[in-house]
This record gives sequence, structure tokens and C-alpha cells, in this order.
Amino acid sequence: MIAAAMLMTAAGDTNITLPNVTITANTVHHMQMRTSQTNMLITADFLQSNLGSSLMQTIEGLPGVSATSIGGGQSRPVIRGLGLNRLVVSENGVKHEAQQWGDDHGLEIDQFAIDHIEVLKGPSALLYGSDAIGGVINICSDMVPKQPFEGAVTLMGRSVNDQLGVAARIGGRHGLFFYRANATWIDYADSRVPTDSIEYYSYNIALHNRRLRNTAGQERDASLMVGLAGEQWQSSLRLSDSYAKSGFFANAHGLEVRLSDIDYDRSARDIDLPYQMANHLKLQSHTTGRIGLWGLELQLTMQHNHREEHSEPAAHGYMPLPAASLERAFDKRTYNATFAARHPLGERNVATVGISAEWQHNRRGGWGFIMPDYDTRTLGIYAYDRYLATDDFILNAGIRYDDATTDIHEYNDWYATPTPEGESYLQRAAECHHHFGSLTYSAGANYTIGAWTLKGNIGKSFRLPSAKELGANGVNYHIFRYERGNTALHPEQSYQLDAAAYWSNSLWQIQIEPYLNYFSNYIYLNPTASYVDGLQLYQYTEARVMRCGIDALASCRFTTHWEGEIKGEYLFARQLSGDKRGYSLPFSTPWTADATLRYIYFWHGEGHIHINAHLVGRQDDIVPPERATDGYWTLNLSWNHSFAVAHNTLTLALHANNLLNKYYYDHTSYYRLNNIPESGRNISASIKYSF
Amino acid sequence: MRHIIAYAILLTLAAVACTTEDKDTTAPVIATAGFDTNPIDCQTYHAGDTIHFCYLFEDNRELGAYNIEIHNNFDHHTHGTSATDCEDGHHDEENEGHEHHDDEETPAGAWVFVQDYAIPSGTTSYLAKQDIAIPLDITAGDYHFSIRLTDRAGWQEIKAIAIKIKTNQALEE
Repeated sequence: MIAAAMLMTAAGDTNITLPNVTITANTVHHMQMRTSQTNMLITADFLQSNLGSSLMQTIEGLPGVSATSIGGGQSRPVIRGLGLNRLVVSENGVKHEAQQWGDDHGLEIDQFAIDHIEVLKGPSALLYGSDAIGGVINICSDMVPKQPFEGAVTLMGRSVNDQLGVAARIGGRHGLFFYRANATWIDYADSRVPTDSIEYYSYNIALHNRRLRNTAGQERDASLMVGLAGEQWQSSLRLSDSYAKSGFFANAHGLEVRLSDIDYDRSARDIDLPYQMANHLKLQSHTTGRIGLWGLELQLTMQHNHREEHSEPAAHGYMPLPAASLERAFDKRTYNATFAARHPLGERNVATVGISAEWQHNRRGGWGFIMPDYDTRTLGIYAYDRYLATDDFILNAGIRYDDATTDIHEYNDWYATPTPEGESYLQRAAECHHHFGSLTYSAGANYTIGAWTLKGNIGKSFRLPSAKELGANGVNYHIFRYERGNTALHPEQSYQLDAAAYWSNSLWQIQIEPYLNYFSNYIYLNPTASYVDGLQLYQYTEARVMRCGIDALASCRFTTHWEGEIKGEYLFARQLSGDKRGYSLPFSTPWTADATLRYIYFWHGEGHIHINAHLVGRQDDIVPPERATDGYWTLNLSWNHSFAVAHNTLTLALHANNLLNKYYYDHTSYYRLNNIPESGRNISASIKYSF
Repeated sequence: MRHIIAYAILLTLAAVACTTEDKDTTAPVIATAGFDTNPIDCQTYHAGDTIHFCYLFEDNRELGAYNIEIHNNFDHHTHGTSATDCEDGHHDEENEGHEHHDDEETPAGAWVFVQDYAIPSGTTSYLAKQDIAIPLDITAGDYHFSIRLTDRAGWQEIKAIAIKIKTNQALEE
């Protein structure tokens, strides 16, 4: 991870553009020697030729990376079984604030504005601070255009939810000045599933035209970036906005079957209650430069997240019928400043120091109380050193300290509850002040010998307990359970040992990446035996947890035309203490394996045909309230071709996912508890014209 | 490198060995209690009656707690947890023509009952009995009687029963 920092602090364009369609990063020795962490680079070509329904579905084919489906074609990233706030999604090196509130909303990033993505697996706290336990997905969208004027237009469609989309980008460079702009529009209807009804408990929910009621949605993204780039320095300002609105499955969201008089079946494209909308506005300033031997980097970022969840008002317990549909609103403003400086120490040593400060302001709204208002201030300082013992043997070590304060504000019910002392507006959250300090570290080595590249990394990472984990106290109407926080929680501490071995020759490429991970206090929402307000009580609690696993890949380019690849991941977790001792972690990822055969041809440009079998194992290592999930396999087919048209490029891509229209469940999916299967056959097509 | 991997495997094996695999993966069961079972689907009561609730709860390890909730089914929603619609010919005498309420508001006078109950710890089989008095002044009609049961491990079982509550004859006269 330390070397990944080098990438960030280096001025200008350090991105390697790789020619192959696949995750060619691993073939590049240079890439593997850059960091002692297991890392992967995903190029724009790979993204274009693998466009899934969401960014995450696009990159989930990478070993160790998966996506948790949250309905409506949206999904959340998971690295080796750790998702949500146990990994960091960053854009241009700064943490992208979006996914910390709920389990059921997407990334809020325009996937057509992405230049490339770097995935770091394992503890990355040194640079990213809190949350970077499972790893980091660093999205780059600020590359400097090379031409005076360039651009691309993409049209795409998808059969599973009748999705239509159009994306356009332009950019240019004139001397020192450069600019780029993106706009994306996507609209989709209710998702299709390969079944006429869903059996939930003993009740059959009949589906209209095999669609999940009210899962339609829309997305609008726009961004504008301007900057100046010299030989030794570069400075840019980027403004982006991402808006998404999508419906929740009308019949069952969470554990309870929903009741409604809304005629959901009148249109598959409209969005009725319940639905969510999320808007993410971001202003990012990024400056890098060299002064003498110093390499300097300054990042200033403002982010404003606004999210609303609307549902039909319903009385519950002593809560009277709310007047409006706004069940929850979350408004979050984040201001972040980071500064890093790098300087050589002697011939073979490079030291870097950095400081990062963040202020977060969170306000809630709506009639459903889940978590209180809160403010968080974080200050982190770090230092690390990279020592090139020889060109083939690199050592690194770093240390970081974070100081954080979370102020939770009081919240009282907006309605009165009768008590023995008379009517009372019950207090759900008390005024509370938390102060956390966390020391993290990391050390690793890279070693190349012959065709082998070996890496080892050991690191500690942490995560501040969220306001929800500390201060929740109310009915989660989405899941129909009572959730209670725990003010005694500590910052989550994770220790991880990573190893990686890569071997390649002109024909073969093999990678093996085992890891061992220990949490001294993994925080999770534990279902208890008790009832509160008529609903089962779920309480946040801590447990010692041991996890281990392995990601592996082997590929072979038999001839210039044929390439084969096999990859897989396996993960095992055990809770070593607490109420659920002996159980795995909630929603554990089952083993997966992929076999892909690829045909590459050259005819008016270059084309690829892939056929892929995706296998997923049975998951019966479960925790209440999960149910065991059978294994499955899907067959996927894709074709893409880039034609040269004058000096421009026309790229056509066609994908067929789940070609055999298999009916299966994804154990990690948000809707698994409702027995809702995954999408059936999905044909998607895109056409991109680049100029 | 080989040593690190070997060490990792060893540590993992140790971790696994230290963790006994005796976790509970079975949800509790809400079972009928013979002739005493009460209420059952489509059972009819009158306002002012007492529901002599009686069900048998069983778990392979240890029962947790239970909850009874009664709410109206005037709109004939299907609750999703095995409550059936009672098409018994006397269907909806009191509520004819009110199958769909335009407003979501709880109809005036509809009965709402929510109560949590404890089960003695260490119990694997428990005959749950409660006497629940139906208030006299409630709106008659179809109701759902739902039972929620947990075990110590946090597994939950839900059962919903469709019942009818008729206007008290004494009051009608």
C-alpha cells in the first residue's frame, strides 16, 4: 500500500495504459513491484468491453472482488467478503462519501467518466484512514486529455430491465490549459426475474410479467473539470453531480410483506412508493508538483450527499400516521483536506509524510428514526519509507495516527408515548461525545526472482464506529426490526497478513493471493432473542473474528487467437467470542470459480469473443436470520469489436449474462432474505464512437 | 514466503480448532397444541370475548421470547406469513364494500394489540397460554393474529392467523 502512495504523490500522469482487454495489470511486473499489497489495475478498455448494469457488476469479475446486489440493477462492492464501511471507494485519491448510511444504495459514481480503476486488497489505513480494512477501490476520473479536442458518445441498452442510456464526454488540451466534461443519462424499468411468483415465508407473491414490482429507476450524472498542467506540476478543479432515483421492490422490502393500494402494475417504468433518491455533489481540487527534490500533493474536497427514502405513511405502535411520505432523509456535508510531501533520503530511500483533516456534518429528517444527527472531526498524520535494497527487492514500512471526535445529538420522538408518568416524547438518542484515537501501521516487501514476483504485507487498519452503530434506537421499517446501538463500542481493529506469488512466462500467467485476517472487535448487528415494541431486537455488538482466504488465477495465451483463464476465490470466517461464537459473519461470500475462453481476432480492427462459466458454491455457513443458499452456475457470452473509422474508433459490444436464464439466489444479496432470485437472461448492447 | 503461508495455514487451523462447531442453525417451531390450540384460522370471536391463546413452542436448544400482535385485516391484505383469507360464505358481513381503504389510516375503532412475553430460560418446549380480552367497543371485522417467536440464538419464526371478530350480540340488540 505504501507504494500506492507513491503513485498518488507522483506528479502528472503515472497511469500505465495496458493494451490487453483483460486485467493485464498482473502481467506487468512494474505494477506488481509498485506496492507490497495485492493490487489490480482495470483499464478503460476493460470497463468498456465489460459494461455491467452497474460499475460494480462490471468489475466483480476480478478475483477477490464481488458485488452485493441491492436491487434495481444497483450493487455495492465487496472485497474478500468485506463491504459497506469496511472498504473505501475513493475517487482520484479522496474517499467518496456515499455508502455509509444504508445497506441498499449504490455508489453514486458516473461509470462513463472513469479512466481506470485501481483495486488494492487488504489493509490500506495508512493512506486512507478509517474504513480501509478490506481494501480500496480507487477510481480515476481526472486524466489530462492529450488532444486539442477529443470525446466519445456511448449508447447502450439492456434487456433485463429495458434500460436505455446515453453518455457523452468531451475534453481537450491547449498548451497548459485542459478541460473535460461528462454527461450521462440512464433510465430503466422494473427488473425481470425468471419466475412468476416469489415464495416468501409460506406466501406466494405473484409477479406481473415476471418483473419485480417498482424496481425501476433513473440516473443522471454530469461533471466538469478544468485545469492547468505543466511539466513539473498540475492543478485541476473538478465539479461533479450524480443523481439517482430508484424504487424499492413493492411487495417485500426487508423482512415484512408490504401492503399497498398502489396499482404498481399499470406501468413497469414508473417509480412509485417506496423509493429512494440520492444526490451527490462534489467539488475537488487536486494539485501536484515538484520543487527540487520534493514531491508535493494537495487535495481539497467538498462533498454534499443528500438522500431521501419515501414510503407510504403507516402508523406503528404509538406513532400516529405521518403526514408525508418522507420516511428518512440524510444530509451529509464532508470537507476534506490532505497534504503529502515526498523526499529522497539518500540513494535508495524515499520517505513520505502526510496529513489529512476531515469534518463531517450529518443531519437527518423524516418520520422514521434510525440514527441521530452527528458531527465528526478526524485528523490523521502518517509517515512511511520505501527502501530499494536492490532493484528486485523493495521494503516498505509506515505508521499513522488518527484522532477522531464524534458528537451525537439528542433525538426525541416527534409523537407522544403513554408512560406511567403520563405522555412522554421518548428520547431515542442522548447527547453523546466520543473521542477515539487509533494507531495503525503497515510493512511489506516485494521480491522478484526469475519469473517469480513475491509479495508480503502485514498491516493494521481500523474503522470508527458509525453514528448508527453507536446511537441507533428505533424501528427499521425497511427490515421490520428494532435496531439498537451501543455506546460502548470501540474503534474496530483489524490485523491482516497478505502474501502473493506471481509467475509468468510468454504463455502462462499464474497468481496466488492468500491472506489471514484477525479482528479484535468486529462490529455487527446481532439478532437477539428479545422483543421491543413488538419487533425482534437487533443490537450492535463486538466479537473477535478470524478470517482467511485465497484468491487465485491462472491464464494461458495458447495462440495469438486463443486465451483461457481460470480463477477463483475462497473465504472462511469464524466469530471467536460473543453471542454468536462459532458462527461465521453475516452474509458470508461463498466460494466462486470462473472459467473463461477467449477468442481474439483481427479483422478491420480487433475483436474479442468470450465464453464464461461462473460457478458459485453453496453457502450453509449462516447466521440468523439468513437461510442457506444453494450453489449455482451461469453461462455468459460476450463480444466486442473496435473498428477504425478514419482517425476515430467505433466500438460495439454485446453481452449475454445468464444465457441459460438460470433461477438462482445470491447469498450476499440484499433481497436474499425475501427469497427474491437474481436477474434472468440479460442481453446488453453498447455502441461507442470515440473521436 | 513459504514460511509465511505455512504459518498462516497453521494459525487458521488453530483458530478453527478452537471454535467448537456446535452452533444452532435451527429456527424455533410454533406448533399446534392439540384440541387446546387457539386461535386457529378463520376462528370467530365476538367483541367482549376472551381469546384463550394456546400454542406449543419448541426449539432444539433454547427458546427465547414471543410476541403477539393483533391488527385489522379490513382491507384483506395477505400478511405473508400463512394467514389465509377466510371465504366462509359469511364473508365480511360487517365490512361489505370496504375491501380497499383509500386512506392508509387505521380505521377508527380498529383494535390494535401488541404485547411481548418472556419464556423461562432453559426451556426447549413451552406451552404458551395467554388470555386476551377483546374490548367491547372495537370495530368488528377481519383481523390478523400474529405470533412471533425467537430462540436464544436469535432465529425467529412468524405465524399469522386470520380471525373474525363480530359485533357483540348483546350490544346489537
